[in-house]
Amino acid sequence: MSDIPAEHDRSARLQAQVQAALADQRPLEIVGSDSRSLLGLAPDSDAISVGDHRGVIDYQSDELVIRARAGTRLVDLEHLLASHGQRFAAEIPAPSAESTLGGAIACGWDAPSRSLGVSIRDTVLGCRLINGRGEIVNFGGQVMKNVAGYDLSRLQVGALGTLGVILDVALRLAPLPERQVSRSFAVPADALEDWWLRCRELRPLLSASCYQQGYLHLHLSGRAAALDELLPTLGGEALDFDWAALRDLRSDFFCADQLACLYLPAQTPVEITQGEALLEWEGARVWVRDGNHDALQREAQAAGGFLRVLRGDPVAPAVAAPQWHQRLKDAFDPEGIFNSAIFGSHFEGGGGR
Amino acid sequence: MSAEALLRELRSQLPSERLLTEREQIAPFECDALPVYCARPVAVVLAQSEADVVAVAGACHRHRVPLVTRGAGTGLSAGAKPIEAGVLLVTAAMNRILELNQHAMTARVEPGAVNLQVSRAAAPLGLYYAPDPSSQIACSIGGNVAENAGGVHCLKYGVTVQNVAALRVVTSEGEVLSIGSQCLAQPGYDLLALLHGSEGCLGIITEVTVKLTPLPATTRTLMADFACVRAASDAVSAIVRAGVIPAALEMMDALAISATEAFCHAGYALDAAAILIIDLDGDPREVEAELKLVEGVLGSSGATRVQLAEDDAQRALWWKGRKSAFPAIGRLSPDYYCIDGTVPRHRIGDVLEAIQSFAVDYQLRVANVFHAGDGNLHPIIMFDGREPDALERVEGLAAEILEYCIAVGGSITGEHGVGLEKINQMAVQFSDAEIAQFIAVKEALDPVGLLNPDKQIPELARCQEYRALRHAHE
Repeated sequence: MSDIPAEHDRSARLQAQVQAALADQRPLEIVGSDSRSLLGLAPDSDAISVGDHRGVIDYQSDELVIRARAGTRLVDLEHLLASHGQRFAAEIPAPSAESTLGGAIACGWDAPSRSLGVSIRDTVLGCRLINGRGEIVNFGGQVMKNVAGYDLSRLQVGALGTLGVILDVALRLAPLPERQVSRSFAVPADALEDWWLRCRELRPLLSASCYQQGYLHLHLSGRAAALDELLPTLGGEALDFDWAALRDLRSDFFCADQLACLYLPAQTPVEITQGEALLEWEGARVWVRDGNHDALQREAQAAGGFLRVLRGDPVAPAVAAPQWHQRLKDAFDPEGIFNSAIFGSHFEGGGGR
Repeated sequence: MSAEALLRELRSQLPSERLLTEREQIAPFECDALPVYCARPVAVVLAQSEADVVAVAGACHRHRVPLVTRGAGTGLSAGAKPIEAGVLLVTAAMNRILELNQHAMTARVEPGAVNLQVSRAAAPLGLYYAPDPSSQIACSIGGNVAENAGGVHCLKYGVTVQNVAALRVVTSEGEVLSIGSQCLAQPGYDLLALLHGSEGCLGIITEVTVKLTPLPATTRTLMADFACVRAASDAVSAIVRAGVIPAALEMMDALAISATEAFCHAGYALDAAAILIIDLDGDPREVEAELKLVEGVLGSSGATRVQLAEDDAQRALWWKGRKSAFPAIGRLSPDYYCIDGTVPRHRIGDVLEAIQSFAVDYQLRVANVFHAGDGNLHPIIMFDGREPDALERVEGLAAEILEYCIAVGGSITGEHGVGLEKINQMAVQFSDAEIAQFIAVKEALDPVGLLNPDKQIPELARCQEYRALRHAHE
């Protein structure tokens, strides 16, 4: 734990900043390490920086729970957990070495392993935040099951900091798998549907899939005895596929001016005619670079899904129940001081399905 | 508020056999499975469709009459207790399984569909619905969502919120919302998570798309006997420390063992102070490896005997005993009261010892049968309601236990919900600012305050009153 400063509690200072902004009716944009600005989340008004509010508050490996301050770097947390033979129960993308826990929760951006495992929101046990009244409030806890009151901690996942300043988060953990291996297969696009079905048979040893440029890459993890028996019958090549770069959006593929991803129901293939595609989640998440975002959004919606733009031409948000979004925003942040531009671009609008 | 005008409107929309207003018709609906809290509503509506729900919600909104929704009525926190001046809407008859999708591994069901029926319907496809509350033969999926129900297999597979993909919801104004989808993410706020465990206070669920899980290739069941409760409690943490996440990890103490053994002859050790029942499931090679690990941990944790179920029949019998613990204990005592708190796993031993010492103070007996892997305790207080002060003592003991759970870093409810039962303890677990934030969310989505208005979130004045009383008592 030595590389994570234990005493960097800035909650009092952050609370004072929020209260001052409230008194002046001055909007605030919340920033962690600013590593997610590549997701189009760069601040453009007064910033409140959570980056130095960091450190582990509580970690007892027997409980499979860690509670840490929002500014704690994800890489530091991963090292700490690995030294105890553990990891986050849901893999968490870290776009840079500086990426913070709070930023990951606010973005709610899931890793390639989400489809065969759980999502980040599934692993959130509790969350403390400063609300738009300048109060520090704590919801959920550090125990595995907790239904006291509304689930306002999971609500913060993916809320992009529009409901409050996240101070600390408790997350569920999992044991590190005994073994992890990668196998790659040359697969023509028209054979993918059969492969997705085959992927189902590889559960629970299959942990992620990725299809790019005619190659299907499979990530497998589990007990050594099980993988040793499976691998000879599975075939494929042991290529040096960089799963971490895929997870953290650092692969070359993601360096594009136009970047978006389609979320689709399972087994609902969509033909990508413009730009280049990369498939995750057995085809249920399709990244497209250099595509036409309006056309992609139409494709996604026709298939029962939706589009998220990371870079390039924005599309109108298609949230369900837009009136509930505005009312919830007002319930947490009545003066509208937190990340109001992001609220407008991501949560407002009448594109409800 | 005009109940008479509301009834006139409802009569024009619903046949009389589904709009109950006579005393003897209403009687069966006066309480849920926590019968110490009862009330007779103005009317009971037996909904058959989403259109019925929309009609009732809209009418209640126009006439400003409170509305309580009830599924199968198996809830244990009085969350479905009616309100005297209100309407009780029962969704139990909306029980169809609308669609099973093998490819997407989902089932679209009406809210009254019974939990176990969904798994039975999915079994021919090699799938099942993982969350399995002890009441799964009777409880409804809509109620499971409203309470964010758990079960014995939640340690590995998650509770309801991790196993639902989409909902249709009728708002307090009578509008229909579609939340979530078949996708593995959703745009906007996580309204799905917000609705789970909202106890019918934010909306009325009219359709649920649940995620189904592949039936495991193998399941093996271990039973370990212990001569002391503390050793059994410590073994629970030791199993997790060894890097194993069992599908289920349950514990029963001596009183629960003797009650269930007499009830269904499961083969439990009557001389054990505690037993653990452990399911390991999944890939057969992984299960074999983990079986060895867990057997080793149990041996070094002081288990006096470790047995591996020989076949499915023995597995089923062991689990039958566990799942029938509540009625079994009910045979030993004229009345019983089951509570629900969650604590960090490593504090289970401390909490069980504290419970026994509180029980002595209140001159009551407590049996324990619970989800040890989740740290989710279910102390069952045995009492005789005919004794004049019995219920008061039970409520006093229950409050002590729940507040002790908070003191060791836990929660007043893991899966039964707050309802009416634990509304005072909300004031202990949460500050005024936190309660006020809950109230702000409630007012945002139910501005007139008509949906299950007296449940789950206490008024601030009540919190301050309870804290003052508690302080004076100390």
